[in-house]
Amino acid sequence: MDPNSQQSGNMEEVKIFDPSILPPCLDQIDLAYSDSDVLSENHCVNEDHRMPSDPEGLLDSADPTSEESNQPQEPSSTDMQKLDIDDDRPLCAGGSETDSGKASEDSALVDNGQDDSSEFVVTVLARGKMEEQGMGMKGASSPLCDTPLGPPSHRNEDVTAESWRQHRKHVFVLSEAGKPIYSRYGSEEALSSTMGVMMALVSFVQSGDNIIRSVYSDEHTVVFMQRGPLVLVSVSSSRQSEQQLRNELLYVYNQIVSMLTQASITRIFEHKKNYDLRRLLAGSEKILDGLLDLVDSDPSLLLCAVHCLPLASSLRDSLSQILQKAITPNLVFSILIAKNQLLTIVQEKMVIDDARLEPADLHLLLNLIGASSAFQAGEIWTPICLPSFNPDCYFYAYISYLDPPECTVCLVLLSTDKEAFYSVAECKRKIEEAMQAQNALNAISKAHSYSVSQVGVSDLRHFMYKPFDVPDNHRQLTQFTSPEMEAPYGSEEEQTRLLDLYRDMHSRIHSTSRPLKLIYHVAERETLLAWVTSKFELYTCFSPLVTKTCAINAITKLLRWIKKEEDRLFIRYPPKYSTTPNPSKSSRDGH
Amino acid sequence: MLMISPRMASGMQEKQYTPSLLSFFIYNPKFGPREGEEEKKILFYHPIEIEKNEKIRNVGLCEAIVQFTRTFCPTKPAKSLHTQKNRQFFHEPEENFWMVMIVRNPMVEKPNKDGKPPTVEYQEEEIIDSVYGSVLQQCYSMYKLFNGTFSRAFEAGGVELLTQKLEKFFYRYLQTLHLQSCDLLDVFGGISFFPLDKMTYLKIQSFVNRVEESLSLIKYTAFLYNDQLIWSGLEQEDMRILYKYLTTSLFPRHTEPELAGRDSPLRPEVAGNLLHYGRFLTGPANLKDPDAKFRFPRIFVNTEDSYEELHLIVYKAMSAAVCFMVNSAVDLSREFCEQLDSMVGPHLTLLASDICEQYNVNRRISGPEKEPQFKFIYFNHMNLAEKSTIHMRKTASVSLTSVHPDLMKILGDINCDFARVDEDEEIIVKAMTDYWVVGKKSDQRELYVILNQKNANLIEVNEEVKRLCATQFNNIFFLD
Repeated sequence: MDPNSQQSGNMEEVKIFDPSILPPCLDQIDLAYSDSDVLSENHCVNEDHRMPSDPEGLLDSADPTSEESNQPQEPSSTDMQKLDIDDDRPLCAGGSETDSGKASEDSALVDNGQDDSSEFVVTVLARGKMEEQGMGMKGASSPLCDTPLGPPSHRNEDVTAESWRQHRKHVFVLSEAGKPIYSRYGSEEALSSTMGVMMALVSFVQSGDNIIRSVYSDEHTVVFMQRGPLVLVSVSSSRQSEQQLRNELLYVYNQIVSMLTQASITRIFEHKKNYDLRRLLAGSEKILDGLLDLVDSDPSLLLCAVHCLPLASSLRDSLSQILQKAITPNLVFSILIAKNQLLTIVQEKMVIDDARLEPADLHLLLNLIGASSAFQAGEIWTPICLPSFNPDCYFYAYISYLDPPECTVCLVLLSTDKEAFYSVAECKRKIEEAMQAQNALNAISKAHSYSVSQVGVSDLRHFMYKPFDVPDNHRQLTQFTSPEMEAPYGSEEEQTRLLDLYRDMHSRIHSTSRPLKLIYHVAERETLLAWVTSKFELYTCFSPLVTKTCAINAITKLLRWIKKEEDRLFIRYPPKYSTTPNPSKSSRDGH
Repeated sequence: MLMISPRMASGMQEKQYTPSLLSFFIYNPKFGPREGEEEKKILFYHPIEIEKNEKIRNVGLCEAIVQFTRTFCPTKPAKSLHTQKNRQFFHEPEENFWMVMIVRNPMVEKPNKDGKPPTVEYQEEEIIDSVYGSVLQQCYSMYKLFNGTFSRAFEAGGVELLTQKLEKFFYRYLQTLHLQSCDLLDVFGGISFFPLDKMTYLKIQSFVNRVEESLSLIKYTAFLYNDQLIWSGLEQEDMRILYKYLTTSLFPRHTEPELAGRDSPLRPEVAGNLLHYGRFLTGPANLKDPDAKFRFPRIFVNTEDSYEELHLIVYKAMSAAVCFMVNSAVDLSREFCEQLDSMVGPHLTLLASDICEQYNVNRRISGPEKEPQFKFIYFNHMNLAEKSTIHMRKTASVSLTSVHPDLMKILGDINCDFARVDEDEEIIVKAMTDYWVVGKKSDQRELYVILNQKNANLIEVNEEVKRLCATQFNNIFFLD
């Protein structure tokens, strides 16, 4: 459902892009960036327009040197770099703008007249503000591309080496013209011929009026997915099901959309088929790397559910109330996160009536924050698209950690008004004050995940429980609860193995053609039980020698325990607020 | 056309199409490495009427897929390609010789109003790779049984001889592939053994020894009763494919005359021969016929090492069938056949009735009514022993199962899960239809049970399976 249909008098067209609640699509023209670049690229469109089924041609067009020369002047000066994803966005919009006919069709242009003010101004404002307060942005690199930190990059791996082949899961993103956009391991340049072959396979099968899905060997599963002008490929030896790998690719695609929006990706490639999208995603490889690590290690992405930090319901309620009180027009979501788990989320009434925040969107948002330590530096104001909510529009996210320097508690405020930085920052001030008054940070720091031993069932080693019967179900954020992984699943290797076992059961029980109700699996190292009912979905892991009777008793006890603890484990009644009493005008109020 | 076998869904105008063979080809990339010579790579292509460039394109795609997967693991190239409309299976049985089988996904055709063409929906998750991969491997084994390896034919008579052999064999063989009814049993490719008491077993063994002694030309012997194996002197792999040929092709072709009754013209035996019921299933149909031909099919065994070419003589009396294999260099004469007939015929007839009697006694003791109503499949990887109470009749043309195809596919899924890890496992699942399916794997043995006690719980299901194991497999330990 579209979030705005209610107040939109103008029916369909306007609906999606109604400025009141949702931000306008980002195709404001930033003249300063658009000319030279776009022109210099334009004239090579024809030369590079090759048959997609010709891998050699693809190789040529993917040749990095031909593109390198007219890269946009990557500002080496610290000043310009700060949010280069933002800087580049107007550029892409500008690019499409030269394509006269198509741009006018775009309903996003409805409110274009006044929005020329552009992204750029906002980010500058944000930065100005931060500098003014002497916070962060030292060296002023983009929060999205602070590469010097973190683990060593896989980018410069030798792609012919055995170690490169040994990776458990490769992910590639390329454009329809076969141009590399992203590779999890190894540089895109070194892999351009491999990606050329991938695209050739896709288009060859397509030319036979068919669609390539996957290739299986004894070692690997290769999954192909096309989304608009992008092709995503996963090469995995993890033995996950095709459907699961496809969902992971969808996360990758949506993470890219979250940075660029689907509409602008489409426009860019409509305008120039062999555009090098890496120019817009420069520095964001780390976000995709982080996402793929998360996909491999965090079951919440598998379950499409949010993991809440267990919290006394009184504390959670008071945190929600604090968020509820700190509002400003056009604020739509207030989210409080601790230790990468959700504490509470408050949603705008209008939004919540028509749509809800999908767990997938929240995962992407959390990954974006988690992937960059630069967010720890102060206040960030950045556009972000929530693809499941609306793939074509931006929200404006205010992100700030409340407990520097530990940086475990993070506040995210999402507004539809890109000019709202100051007023949203003011909300944060209020929230901070209220939390100080209640000594909430201290209380939060004491909250932590729980041990399975608290359930009090001896043979039970681990479980994942995803309820469907929370009150107000269809408006509720899908959640799940799960204890810490403890011995014998203490090591990273064993954790991966347990997750793999869960994934196997998940794929069988949710098989599209042959779904099941229950799976009981006795293996040498553990016994697993997966069970899906209309009320919940449950995955449990027992010691290998548990009897079936014991396992069933254990599950009865576990369900009873969860019932007793549910106020602590889940957000039971998602709080709401109303920030836009008269939404149809609000977006212009900012001027 | 061959590929369409519509089944009307009840009540609706929808047409359901089962999986069917789209194409089947064999190529060797070394035979036409240069551009413009691609056609030379293709050794066999079905259907034959496909246009040349189309053939080259399809072979090219397979080569590209195989090459592409080698980027990630040079030693383990692609085995299958999934597309919206079909599945392609790749098999390289001999170096550089690739066999490809393309199977169309099952689909549903939904008619549209106002004369618009019907909407076609492909069911992409229905085909199980391991099942059809095995079918492709079987194609090769069957070819090899009657023709020897690709490379031997190529060495002997070049591409010309090889393509001739391929065409001759596959033209007929492909028509017998009934892809809509392939299931877990194709993965196992097992052999059903006839259960027998020690005494009768020894009788059979001494029979085989005596015949082999008297007719020294005989190199190998195999003894079957009721389409089930009792004794075989062949290597397991060779027996496996020979057994497949006998039970799905040769025997079914000869059951009709047997059922037809003594006086029927279909019955080839001569009324004069009242001493025994023996007759040749391969070679001469009637020994008394002065024009009888003494030509027997040739088979190739032990192709990995000694590479033996043999005459296959199949001789049958009542429900007992014996295969005698003789070196193909020897010309089999009328005299030899008469000798064999007069020696084996009476003995085998006697033996067959002995076995029959023994079988009936056993049946009376255990009693079919005592046997619990279990539907199960059992397979032992060590000796290829297979037992199914799910399949009512398995011939080349039909494989009748008594359970819903979806349940059979769940068995296939569990088998794939078992194949992942080399350890003892048990998997119990409850399907959406509330059927329970239990899979057990223990020390090379696999057992699959389908239970339709819909209201049973896990513990009751467990008890049921325990009972089955106690009655049917009391000497086999399965993980509990």
